[in-house]
Amino acid sequence: MVAELKYEISQNAYIKLVLHTLKHKTTAVNGILLGRVNPQNDSVVEITDSVPLFHSNLALLPSLEIALIMIEEHYGSKGLGIVGYFHANERFDDAELGIVAKNIGDHICRYFPQAAIFLLDNKKLEALPMGKDQSPVMQLYIRDASKNWKLAGPDGGSRFVIKEPAANAVLSDYISSEKWQDVVDFDDHLDDIKKDWLNPELFK
Amino acid sequence: MVSKTEETQLNRLENQVDNGGGGAWEYLCLVRKLKVRRSEKVLKYGLSILNDPKKRSALGPEEWTLYEQVAIAAMDCQCLNVAKDCIKALLKKFPESKRVGRLEGMLLEAKGSWAEAEKAYSSLLEDNPLDQVIHKRKVAMAKAQGNISGAIESLNKYLEIFMADHDAWRELAEIYVSLQMYKQAAFCYEELILSQPTVPLYHLAYADVLYTLGGLENLQTSKKYYASTIDLTGGKNTRALLGVCLCTSAIGQVSKGKNKEDKESPELQSLAAKALEKEYRQKADDKLGLLTSALRSLKI
Repeated sequence: MVAELKYEISQNAYIKLVLHTLKHKTTAVNGILLGRVNPQNDSVVEITDSVPLFHSNLALLPSLEIALIMIEEHYGSKGLGIVGYFHANERFDDAELGIVAKNIGDHICRYFPQAAIFLLDNKKLEALPMGKDQSPVMQLYIRDASKNWKLAGPDGGSRFVIKEPAANAVLSDYISSEKWQDVVDFDDHLDDIKKDWLNPELFK
Repeated sequence: MVSKTEETQLNRLENQVDNGGGGAWEYLCLVRKLKVRRSEKVLKYGLSILNDPKKRSALGPEEWTLYEQVAIAAMDCQCLNVAKDCIKALLKKFPESKRVGRLEGMLLEAKGSWAEAEKAYSSLLEDNPLDQVIHKRKVAMAKAQGNISGAIESLNKYLEIFMADHDAWRELAEIYVSLQMYKQAAFCYEELILSQPTVPLYHLAYADVLYTLGGLENLQTSKKYYASTIDLTGGKNTRALLGVCLCTSAIGQVSKGKNKEDKESPELQSLAAKALEKEYRQKADDKLGLLTSALRSLKI
């Protein structure tokens, strides 16, 4: 049996996506995760960066196709590829992985079969400032043998970790200082190409 | 729906107020006029005026409009106590008002008391069955409770009566898109284009939906609507320019080997590509390489 894959996300990639959801509290948002299989340990997928994609009309193809082409081109030249998809539902109490997310996830699996979907966990996000929980405020979904998306089992907690243990503390800080205002997504770029979806200045 | 000029004006004013340069009342009026959702700022600056007796009395009769605006913003930010206070002040001034009754209904919504809100709205509708705002609140409630099919049903019924409500058509289209019901979304955009043929946003949205639907005919129509968007926006809309390129590539794929009677004229896509390259060279130079590769991979 193939060893179960573990996903490790870098602090910046993680925080960028969560801040993006907070910038657009009233709509669904999504994003792309970049990384690679750990060259020293092929049962670990390292997520080293993320690109926030859209905050409107997530289910339309044209912008998604352009975004994927440009993202793959940019990160490909650095030896990184698309390894996952992030989705945050519109409503606070909607914890279901919707069809749009599954379809995009399926598409990404064609290029990276071990790709995973990360769904924002609103309840965990709400509890963030109050607790000392170091686990990510997202749920991990992987495809089973019949290519159905399933929530990672009870050991899911250990299959998806943030590389830097203090990431949630840093995230809470950023939330208090309303840092989400600085996040640029692909939608913003398409509306004004001067805005950079790479967010180069975000964590400086 | 806001134009780029209006948005720039609003953001400039917002920055001014943020940095202590005054103009809070102008900002609040502009937000009201453009019907945008900037609840945190409205709450902050609205309250700063309402809590200052001098500033409040300087507003004259507009004071009550501000109470209403702040009440709604407060509900959006889940500051229910502030909303309650504003509504109390309004009730004192306008005791029998239906408009204030609506706000009370919204407060029940904000609390999550769906059944009570439903009751409140139904009784308001008895006296005024053509109140558009209340009909739409009922749609919003269905949506908020996750009853999307209910929301669609109510919204369709609403549009049978109020078919000139463009915002409602757009909302319905976006709900359909989120459920991947693209044909139905296309119908909504067709209605919008028929009634407001010079609004580029509808052409663009329609083109996006048609492209997503796919198939040769839809792709060809999509390309036409990206082209009309370019026309209506003076060639400045990046999404439309990219859309033309995507359509050309997709049409090429779909009609590979097929009888090319309907030969596509190559000028449109090369013009679009040139316009894009010019834009990126001027404003996003570092991304020009990515654009050129993207266009190359689309075989433009």
